[in-house]
Amino acid sequence: MSARNPGMKLDLEWISKVRVNTQAVLKRAQQIQGHKLLKKQWQAAWLLKAVTCIDLTTLAGDDTPSNVHRLCLKAIQPIRYDLLRKMDMHDKGVTTAAVCVYPSRVADAVASLKAANSSLPVASVATGFPAGQTPLETRLQEVRMAVADGAAEIDIVINRTLALTGQWEAMYDEIRQFREACGDAHMKSILAIGELGTFTNVYKASMVAMMAGSDFIKTSTGKESVNATYPVAIVMVRAIRDYFLCTGHKVGFKPAGGIRTAQESLVWFSLIKEELGNDWLCPHLFRLGASSLLADIERQIYHHVSGQYAAYHELPMA
Amino acid sequence: MAASSTSTVFSIFQNMEYGPAATSGCTTAQAWLEHHSRSLGLFIDGKFVRPADRGTRSLTDCKGGGVCSLVCAGEDDVSQCASSAVTGQRAWSGMTCYNRAKVLLRLVSVLGQHAQCVSELCELCEASCSSSTLVRLLQYYSSWAQLRDTLIPSWTPLGVVAVVVSDDCSLYSLMLRVLPALAMGNAVIVVPGQSSAPPALLLAQLFAGAGLPAGALNVLTGSDTLLGAKVAQNPSISYVTYSGNKQDGVMLCKATAGMGVPVSVFPGVGATCPFIIFESADIDSAVDGVIEAAFKKKKEVHWVLCVQESVLDGVVARLRLRMAGRKCVALPSEADRVLVEAAVQEAQQQGAKLVQSCAVPPSGDLYPPTVLCGAAPSSPFVVNPSPGPLLPLMTFRSNTEAVTLGNHSPHGLAASIWTEDLTLALETAKSLSVGSVWVNSHSVSDPCLPVSGHKDSGTCTDGGQEGLYQFLCPPCSSSPLPRSTPLSMDYTKFGTAASPKIIPDDSDAASAPKSYLQFVGGKACKSESGCSVAVQPPGDGGVLAYCPDGGRKDVRNAVEAAIKVQPGWMKRSPSARAQSLYSLAKALESKRRDVAASISLHAALSAGGAEKEADLSIARLSDWAAYCDKVQGATLPMPQSGSALSIPEALGVVGIVLPDENPLLSLVTLLGAAIATGNAVIMVPSQKYPLAALAFIQVLQAADLPAGLVNVISGSRDQLTVALANHSVIKAVWYWGSAEGCQFLQFTCTSPLKTLQLVCQEVEGDAGRDWSQSHPSLLEDMWRNAVQWKSVWIPTALDPTSPALSPLPV
Repeated sequence: MSARNPGMKLDLEWISKVRVNTQAVLKRAQQIQGHKLLKKQWQAAWLLKAVTCIDLTTLAGDDTPSNVHRLCLKAIQPIRYDLLRKMDMHDKGVTTAAVCVYPSRVADAVASLKAANSSLPVASVATGFPAGQTPLETRLQEVRMAVADGAAEIDIVINRTLALTGQWEAMYDEIRQFREACGDAHMKSILAIGELGTFTNVYKASMVAMMAGSDFIKTSTGKESVNATYPVAIVMVRAIRDYFLCTGHKVGFKPAGGIRTAQESLVWFSLIKEELGNDWLCPHLFRLGASSLLADIERQIYHHVSGQYAAYHELPMA
Repeated sequence: MAASSTSTVFSIFQNMEYGPAATSGCTTAQAWLEHHSRSLGLFIDGKFVRPADRGTRSLTDCKGGGVCSLVCAGEDDVSQCASSAVTGQRAWSGMTCYNRAKVLLRLVSVLGQHAQCVSELCELCEASCSSSTLVRLLQYYSSWAQLRDTLIPSWTPLGVVAVVVSDDCSLYSLMLRVLPALAMGNAVIVVPGQSSAPPALLLAQLFAGAGLPAGALNVLTGSDTLLGAKVAQNPSISYVTYSGNKQDGVMLCKATAGMGVPVSVFPGVGATCPFIIFESADIDSAVDGVIEAAFKKKKEVHWVLCVQESVLDGVVARLRLRMAGRKCVALPSEADRVLVEAAVQEAQQQGAKLVQSCAVPPSGDLYPPTVLCGAAPSSPFVVNPSPGPLLPLMTFRSNTEAVTLGNHSPHGLAASIWTEDLTLALETAKSLSVGSVWVNSHSVSDPCLPVSGHKDSGTCTDGGQEGLYQFLCPPCSSSPLPRSTPLSMDYTKFGTAASPKIIPDDSDAASAPKSYLQFVGGKACKSESGCSVAVQPPGDGGVLAYCPDGGRKDVRNAVEAAIKVQPGWMKRSPSARAQSLYSLAKALESKRRDVAASISLHAALSAGGAEKEADLSIARLSDWAAYCDKVQGATLPMPQSGSALSIPEALGVVGIVLPDENPLLSLVTLLGAAIATGNAVIMVPSQKYPLAALAFIQVLQAADLPAGLVNVISGSRDQLTVALANHSVIKAVWYWGSAEGCQFLQFTCTSPLKTLQLVCQEVEGDAGRDWSQSHPSLLEDMWRNAVQWKSVWIPTALDPTSPALSPLPV
């Protein structure tokens, strides 16, 4: 595991200098999407890598122990064993990166994984997910309780009110407190980019979140109208690069929301490879927040192995 | 590290390599080439012809494999092609605008059918032009074909136009000239370069299939650009336009000098262009732009990266990071490796620090992208850029210094500037003396953007409505240059004949002819040499007057004065310029009698005729005064979102050798066109009838014009023509004179390039231009010749209010 990001003092001068040219970013995003498609074993290998970076997620009002249990077992065995075996990947520890649930379901997930003898981390959203419009005290308490229930990773949401009104110092302080409440649990900060208005704000929020000690920055909750888009991701990973250049600390990136197809996951990987380099192509520094993506990837793998297109019912459900 | 087909899933899973690039077989293009037995003929009169006994030239791809062979056209082919083009042009221009537009549009659907073949052939020949780009060109020009008579009424096509390009010129540049020429109703003879030849031949074939009359588009291939000169020699050719590298362009100019055909040159390949990053830029995007622009395999221009000192470290750090691991770029040839290495070594010896994407391979034709940090304008690798993926980086302190640095170059093709500050962007765009400015973007081309080379980068404008006029002639204009074979002349001897000496004679003081002065820097003065020449009445041996015998030094002084005031004059508001021109008209009105007297004295006009000419001249000056705030650019309809502007700018200092005809009226017409658009002028009065211009000096003195804006230098026409030709500050020469003079200027004005407007006055029986005519398009033609265009492109996001909300682009 790479070293955690300790954060740094809030540097408002740095924040104030941020400039983002929207059309240039959009153009770059188009360029990346225009990259040649991967074929054959390259495609299969990249898709398996994608599997290992998935935070397999369920965030619904009707989550109960039984569907969380199903999710956990799918996370341990995300691709059918016989398919992995044909690629000689059955013994390479291909699991998803984590399972991601609401705080109240953390205990269920931890229990299911423990029963299955798995050390897969459980991630929990927290801090008044998804809107973050609850008092700071209850948001902090939420983090502490999720950690106490056994969550190894906490996905916090930033306070958009503070971000939109430019109160970066207050936002920095809040995130600092969350980080403290997380303790040893890794902290991912959700920026909810769909509600930040401009790319410049996205960049600034990314920077403040990293300065406050986030281990990951994450695009969105999946509950806003706009979720992970490539242009926004470019802005965020540039901020990550900038932070790395200045501090030497590598912060991870997690796009979430709306990522459904294997093809999209490949574009995400080439975006990271192009912008940040191979170092970031691992679960320690890159996660995909998704629920239905895994099923599509498994079908693509099935096709790679067998040459046939699978029906959904041929592959185990989550 | 190389990904091979034996890589296992697990090994790729660990190293996350991209895998081998998909290799396209280019099967459709290969099949087309096979159909032609890999030896393409000439395209004449709507079909391929393969004359026997011609030389051939073979074309190889980047890996050295044979693509096909091309025929080298001979003299017979050229004349056959030219006569077919004349017939084709008659048929083509006889069609209605609607039908011509329809043919261009039909080619769009034909292209749709054969997109695969066209794009594969372009790829095979490295002509880099996607079929969507071709479709855009066709659609843009088909609408111009449709609206020619509506929007540019009463202008007519030139006839047969030759489009010549060098080997390294792209197919896009070629088509950016061919299509407007066709759209305006001309026939075209294309002389493509090596890489553009096969796609040009294919397109000609597809055009014929789309219903273009036989002969309207012909393609002649040859061993080099000099085939262009052979084509130009054919008397049916009305105009030659060239695009490509500078050397071939100069060669073409020199070879066609004296043929009596206008040649315009756009040496866009190999120009140096500044890439300016201000501290207010989105540095990450700018760095992405640099990497994309500077390290192309096929390098059309040499970029120089200029970075504001305050953000230098950030830029270099990002360059280092973004370039890391980028693959080596193939050099044009293995021989270039020596040049690249020498340049890098020299740079290092001068203290330049390198940013290189990977280790330099020990040998071969691959070289890693390399930034040479710590370059200066005087660095040899900046002055004479070498081939290969090298990018010099220099720093500047302030916004003004960025402009100074960007402008301090013989080239004036394009610049890319990066800033989020709109005011700074527009100010910089206006101050850079280049034809294209791309704000927060680079290398953007679209047919609606006029492309024009400033300074040594060109003598014509292509693209946009502005670029159409080179293929049209205004109504009631006669052909300015008679077709001829070049005279054999010694260019070094031209204009060196000594003026006849004036010796004292015993005429009495009372009847002694008047001595005129010339006008330099706002002062009436004698010539530097102190000598004078006698002005003689037509057909008589007597002496009418004496005028100064101006020479090289006088021209030098005048240019010094002119270049001092011209930038300020150009920046004055149009209405302020208009007031100055009105004051000139008024001054002429008050000196009307004096000036008219000097015309009638000399040109043997009746007093009435002279007064009439003076009246017309006053009216003409008022016309030009009124034009000052009517000469304007436009916002352009780019297909992408953003703002595109075309801006007319003054050429700078214009040298005018005045016509003999209507000495006063022609003077004010040309002078007015030049200064109304913001130029300064050096005028040389007609050698035959100089008195009108010399008498006009008192008008200039009385008018409210900045000193030095208008200069009049009298003396030997040839000697002064040489002086104008040899002054690099002068950007344009408008010449009325002898055939030798025209040929001399065409031959000489190539380094730096000057825009030439040449009229040979010695044609027997030709009445020449009717200066008293005031058809609006004649004046339009004139001001269009007095400006150079600049296009500015400022891209914006589609929905700038909520960029984060823009949907996923498909």
